[in-house]
Amino acid sequence: MKVSLNWLGRYVDIKVPLEQLCDKMVQAGFEVDGIEDLSQTMDNVVVGRILKLEKHPDADKLLVCQLDVGRGDPVQVVTGADNVFEGALVPVALHDSRLPNGMYIKKGKLRGVESNGMLCSGEELCLKEDDYEGAEVHGILILKEDCQPGTDMRSVLGLDDVIIDFSVTANRPDCQSMLGIAREVAVVLGESLRRPQPAYKTKGGDVNDYISVTVEDYDLCPRYVGRVVRNIRIAQSPEWMKRCLRAAGMRPINNIVDITNFVMLETGQPMHAFDLRHVRGGKIIVRRAEEGEPMTTLDGKQHKLNKEMLVIADAEQPSCLAGIMGGLDSEITEDTTELFLESAKFRRDCVRRTARALGIRTESSARFEKGVDIMGVGYTMERALQLIDELDAGDIVEGVIDRNQGLPKDRVLKVSVSGINGLLGLDIPAGTMVEILNSLSVKTTLSGDTLTCEVPSFRDDIEGRADIAEEVMRIYGYDHIVGTTMRGNIVRGRKPHDRLCADRIKSLLVSQGLNEIVTYSFISSKALDMLGLAEDDDRRRAVTLRNPLGEEYSVMRTQLVSSMLSVLSTNYNRKIPSVRFFELSKVFIPDSVPITRQPEERPALAIGLYGEDEDFFTLKGIVEEIFSAFGISPAFERSSEVYLHPGRQAAVVVNGVAAAVFGEVHPDTAERFGIETRAFIAEVRMDMLVSAEKTLVLYKPLPRFPAVERDLALVCDAGLPVAEIEGIIRSSGGKNLESIELFDVYQGTQIEKGKKSVAYRLVFRSAESTLKDEDVDAFLNKIIRKLNEKGCNLRS
Amino acid sequence: MKEKLEQLRSQVLESLDKLSDKKELDELRVRVMGKKGQLTELLRGMGALPPEERPKAGQLVNSLRVELEAKFDEIEARMEEQLKNSRLAEETLDITMPGKRRKLGGLHPLNSVLEELIDIFRPMGFDVVDGPEIETEYYIFEALNVPKDHPARDEQDTFYLTDDILLRTQTSAAQIRVMEHLKPPIRIISPGRVYRADEVDATHSPVFHQVEGLVGDKGITMCDLKGVLEQFAHEMYGPETKVRFRPSFFPFTEPSVEVDVSCGECGGKGCRVCKGSGWIEILGAGMVHPNVLSVCGIDPEEYSGFAFGIGLDRLTTTRHKISDIRLLFENDRRFLEQFSR
Repeated sequence: MKVSLNWLGRYVDIKVPLEQLCDKMVQAGFEVDGIEDLSQTMDNVVVGRILKLEKHPDADKLLVCQLDVGRGDPVQVVTGADNVFEGALVPVALHDSRLPNGMYIKKGKLRGVESNGMLCSGEELCLKEDDYEGAEVHGILILKEDCQPGTDMRSVLGLDDVIIDFSVTANRPDCQSMLGIAREVAVVLGESLRRPQPAYKTKGGDVNDYISVTVEDYDLCPRYVGRVVRNIRIAQSPEWMKRCLRAAGMRPINNIVDITNFVMLETGQPMHAFDLRHVRGGKIIVRRAEEGEPMTTLDGKQHKLNKEMLVIADAEQPSCLAGIMGGLDSEITEDTTELFLESAKFRRDCVRRTARALGIRTESSARFEKGVDIMGVGYTMERALQLIDELDAGDIVEGVIDRNQGLPKDRVLKVSVSGINGLLGLDIPAGTMVEILNSLSVKTTLSGDTLTCEVPSFRDDIEGRADIAEEVMRIYGYDHIVGTTMRGNIVRGRKPHDRLCADRIKSLLVSQGLNEIVTYSFISSKALDMLGLAEDDDRRRAVTLRNPLGEEYSVMRTQLVSSMLSVLSTNYNRKIPSVRFFELSKVFIPDSVPITRQPEERPALAIGLYGEDEDFFTLKGIVEEIFSAFGISPAFERSSEVYLHPGRQAAVVVNGVAAAVFGEVHPDTAERFGIETRAFIAEVRMDMLVSAEKTLVLYKPLPRFPAVERDLALVCDAGLPVAEIEGIIRSSGGKNLESIELFDVYQGTQIEKGKKSVAYRLVFRSAESTLKDEDVDAFLNKIIRKLNEKGCNLRS
Repeated sequence: MKEKLEQLRSQVLESLDKLSDKKELDELRVRVMGKKGQLTELLRGMGALPPEERPKAGQLVNSLRVELEAKFDEIEARMEEQLKNSRLAEETLDITMPGKRRKLGGLHPLNSVLEELIDIFRPMGFDVVDGPEIETEYYIFEALNVPKDHPARDEQDTFYLTDDILLRTQTSAAQIRVMEHLKPPIRIISPGRVYRADEVDATHSPVFHQVEGLVGDKGITMCDLKGVLEQFAHEMYGPETKVRFRPSFFPFTEPSVEVDVSCGECGGKGCRVCKGSGWIEILGAGMVHPNVLSVCGIDPEEYSGFAFGIGLDRLTTTRHKISDIRLLFENDRRFLEQFSR
């Protein structure tokens, strides 16, 4: 809400410095979004009267002016303009002046003649025709005779003003107006509010002879007030009103339009003026539009309406979109002679939906959307008529049309003083509360511990004790709130098990040199294509946003891999040689598409690596660490994830289910993501990891007898997985086989092509006795025999 | 005999003085004291003495043996000490060389700040509670006292999935879910990811993070709210930090306040960071609206409570002086590594 300090001064005396005013308003809940001091725009530019005009002795196109600038001797200025004349009032930029376009003016000589400043054009003062009549005329701005030589141009132009932009919270639509802000200013400064008291003369007649008003849909229009004005005398508004409108960023047009705009800014209640000529049948009908009903608004746009929209129609067709914009043909023009004036309350969500649906936003719709005061509807009409009378803009016809289904009385709330103090934790005296509430126009009396508050209709945000407490508090001052310690027994707060598990995984991964990343939960549907997922892949059954910011943020992800690959790609393309990343986040798994209820939000973990030192096994090592941290020894099986290298990927199987998949990124996938190096990626089901955890460790006795170690060097087919060899060793090794360690794998010139050499260290130990070589040999022979059956022979 | 012993003694002592290393010492020891050594020879030669002289001579030989043994041991010990010292001297390292370490990774700054925050609130008795990111209109708006025609429900601010299901715009929905299941006393914080239809720029992101706080009990006051937030501010920003309330509006709290802390950069005098005001806005808070309590079946006449919502992303960017919120979601290693610990 942009507030001109000069305008505000019409309603309340401001005797404190600007800074103090702003500070007090902030304390009362009105943040200051900006302060614009209009006087900063120019400096040392004054009104001058041209006393004498002579030709420059050495230049045909230059004139030498003697000017009265209201101080001492005349000032000599040289100008090149040809529209000046003796006796004219003109703006003079004196020596050492500054113009709004950034120019600095100093005295100097033009063709040898001294010039102590510059005469200014409208353009040089950054003025438009709306700001000052004649501002866009070519040449020097000729001022009107209503100003004195020597007057600062800022006061001539109304620039001796400050515009404060107050931020008004959504619960205070009453403060979307000059009077609303003035009321608050009066309270915080302890001054009284001068609310205009409308009074005007009527010129006979009867409104009912001119028009009839029917409200068909009171649910969308609870109150509709209409008046008629005859013998309209369209003219310019007075300068004071134009300045007010300009300060609020509105363009003055003519007295009638300006009055409706002025009262809207003053009271917050929008008005609409109809040219009575164009109200067909002398009827105003407030009704829902018909489905598909056409209408052309005054901006020339054609709309198709629907039944949810409210229109002000005449006997034949809609002439106004209620509260939003008038129709093309009902506009006030220079030849308007009779006027129907409307002041009404339209339901805010109706205005909001209609405005959104049609893509129109006006000063009027913005105010109706926030909500107007049903009692302010009448006051605003009265105030507009007062101004019409004052400006002699027309003859007011006797009689008022006021359609409503009963006006609300001020609501009465009973609130206990101790209740308010109890909520705040303070001990504010009851008398102080009464004083504050009354100053806010909430008529309040005290009896015992009870405050009886009459809440005015413009404060329908005040519903009960908490609201009254807030009103008292924001004026009493929040600085009175002093921090206290809550009572009650406290135990340390708990953290959910899922979070504790996540914490453990994070610290484990951090200790492995991984950095955590955070990415958006929504992805592009193209990301699923880039992964190469099949058309019927489950992960394509995803929740989609109905109104995404764009395609790239439109799908709630069902996997973390594509986000991780994008991040790897970003880093790779920034020439970062290696990364180790992880992300712990949610994936969203719907039970049906489109969704009918909230999807499952499943915690997942992604790991991504690339760089010189990374390979399948560095990733596998990390995956093993994670599962081992949860006491799980999973099986690793070949998997067939489409985005991974077919020969370099594995599923981590826990209790028969894949709890993770990892491997080297398929070169095609890597290429689609723009990663031109080998990258490695894992995705882990956090939920499975957490539920499969072996929580309690049970002690096993330490070995009492020595161990026997045996090394086995074997040669087998290169394609035989070591896990199979280990399986054979373990199943044939007997109960005393304590551990198996693979310590060497070799393929190369020493070995037959297509074969590999693997070397194991086997440790045997008995819990009951010291093992003898014979005991061990028996099992070793069995192991070797079984291995031979698999084509796995001792290396000679 | 005596002369021979004396001669051997001076000869050995002389040799001992000339020894240069332990090898020579060992050789000399064998030459003198060994089985075929000079002293042993002398002892054997004792047989040639008359029996009455033998004890005396034996005594002399033995005392010389003891003396020489001690001498040998002493020199040996000295040699070993020297040897050790010179080895230690040789082993001197350039201790300014870098340590051998496994490089650690690190948490994302959003989450390390979140952990700090959790560590501040848990000892004050706040449980950590999680809620769903995909919510229904009821929990996001209706139960939180946001009426049907409120602009906050507009499509242009909120991501909708269906008419009724949407991406949560704040973590306050957690308040309702908690109060539906728990009755006072309640103390929780609920951190999480939230969504708003803001175009991406240096200070906006359609995905961001909040931490909701909620306390409900008999006799909870606005002063208690300030007490908790002061504790938070002191631990997060330092013990000198001041907390200020400014009136504001949220549908689900009444009274509602914006909460500022004194600017840590200038100590409240006003600087570029706080745009001259001396204060930095950190969160919104208020007393839980009676309608919200009622909706959850908690009697607002009997109980009161307060709630607050902290913007984690802004807290993180101001704390670490990160100039652009987009850096948080870009995940450049060089950025993330700055937060490795």
